[in-house]
Amino acid sequence: MVIKIFPLLIILAVSTLYGQPDINWEREQPTAKTALHLFHSKQVVNFPTSETLKSGEFEYEISHRFLPAIDGENVMFGIDGPAHIRMALAYAITDRMMINLGRSNASDNIDLRVKYRLWEKDHSLLPLSVAARAGGAWSTEVINRDKSDSKNIQYYGQAIFNTLIKKKVGIGVVPSYLYNSHIYCQETQDSFTLGSYIQVYLTSMLSIYAETNTTISGWRQYHNPVSLGIELETGGHFFKIFVGNSSHLNPSQYLAGADKKFGSYTRLGFNITRILTF
Amino acid sequence: MRSIILSLILALVPVLHLAAEEFHVDKDRDNKVKFISDAPIEEFEGVTDYIDGYVYYEGGDLTNSSALYFEVDLNSIDTGIGLRNRHMRENYLETDKKNYRFTHYNGKIIEATPSGEGTYDVVTEGNLFIHGQTNKVQIRGTMHQENSHYHIHAEFEVKLSDYKIKIPSVMFYKIDENMQLILDFYVKEHQE
Repeated sequence: MVIKIFPLLIILAVSTLYGQPDINWEREQPTAKTALHLFHSKQVVNFPTSETLKSGEFEYEISHRFLPAIDGENVMFGIDGPAHIRMALAYAITDRMMINLGRSNASDNIDLRVKYRLWEKDHSLLPLSVAARAGGAWSTEVINRDKSDSKNIQYYGQAIFNTLIKKKVGIGVVPSYLYNSHIYCQETQDSFTLGSYIQVYLTSMLSIYAETNTTISGWRQYHNPVSLGIELETGGHFFKIFVGNSSHLNPSQYLAGADKKFGSYTRLGFNITRILTF
Repeated sequence: MRSIILSLILALVPVLHLAAEEFHVDKDRDNKVKFISDAPIEEFEGVTDYIDGYVYYEGGDLTNSSALYFEVDLNSIDTGIGLRNRHMRENYLETDKKNYRFTHYNGKIIEATPSGEGTYDVVTEGNLFIHGQTNKVQIRGTMHQENSHYHIHAEFEVKLSDYKIKIPSVMFYKIDENMQLILDFYVKEHQE
């Protein structure tokens, strides 16, 4: 049987050789690897994601937390103000490391921080990425003491763990440590907290999210902060509008808890970021 | 007996292809594939050096039994902004879909007119595959021979809607419906 078929195979092979060019080219294994990206934005509301900018990119941020409650009288959902405002500029030194210098008008707090993306692993069900963030803050508008007083300086460190399930549901936990949680306390306070957030990407442009910070030990204001909101992502911009009980923007301030209770005194806030390249 | 037939055939193979010339993309050279989006307010471009493929012809004639195939890894395109790269990959080119990662052009040279020393103006015809859609197109370019290399240059336009690539109009960066493509790369003779 094999012998009978064999000549036939040869004829077939020869006719194929005559019929079309015999190309030797073969595709090599593709070498271009894309970095793993989970969350789209560099932060959810106040808490960071493990994402960083691309090397050489800048990002400008302007954010507001309106102080009146959204159901207050004659304040137009709170946007009549007053408001805490943060302006900041971030810059990526490498694809994994970015620095961010910002200022909030709450105690005229100047904040400098570094985020470094440590590790990531792609996986069809549970991709993971880990980053660390550390920073220092200086409150320059203080009562009854000189602004150069060392008590006005605060430090914080955060570990960031992210996953993105089915490219739709991003989940993050951010254990955080804050040193000198309350700048007016006689004895230096510190706080361990567990930040967490979830973000659901509904379309390529629109997502919703919730974020909270639970103080595990150490000093805290009256309540744990909670925020709920929507995000619109357009090219180089992120527009986030949310409601929450915290009025603070800089990490050394919001890590210390919120003054109001979510639900009974809820405020409006927004973050706008814009990527800049030169 | 069988082994004799086989060796005869094997001996014939090189004869059959004596005049065949095959050139592969030379990855050591400075290859460039670029698209330019020239929308009214904002112009931007995406660049990659990741092009691979071949040109084949017989008997020293570019149009004789010619075949060509080139592919570009869309995941490797850099537009200069990380987030825009991601949007391009995930939302518009959808490179994680099966077979969408590589765009390819599969065709042949139908005309080759000498236009200078070792230079030919060529017209190619073939199938251009982008984003799951295949369209029959003609692409013009030049091929300049330098020893065992050809320097290939081609410029053409791709209309995004021909390939069902949808860009939401609310996006803050404007994208031109007609993408201008510039290919500039080298192929070198393949030695077996």
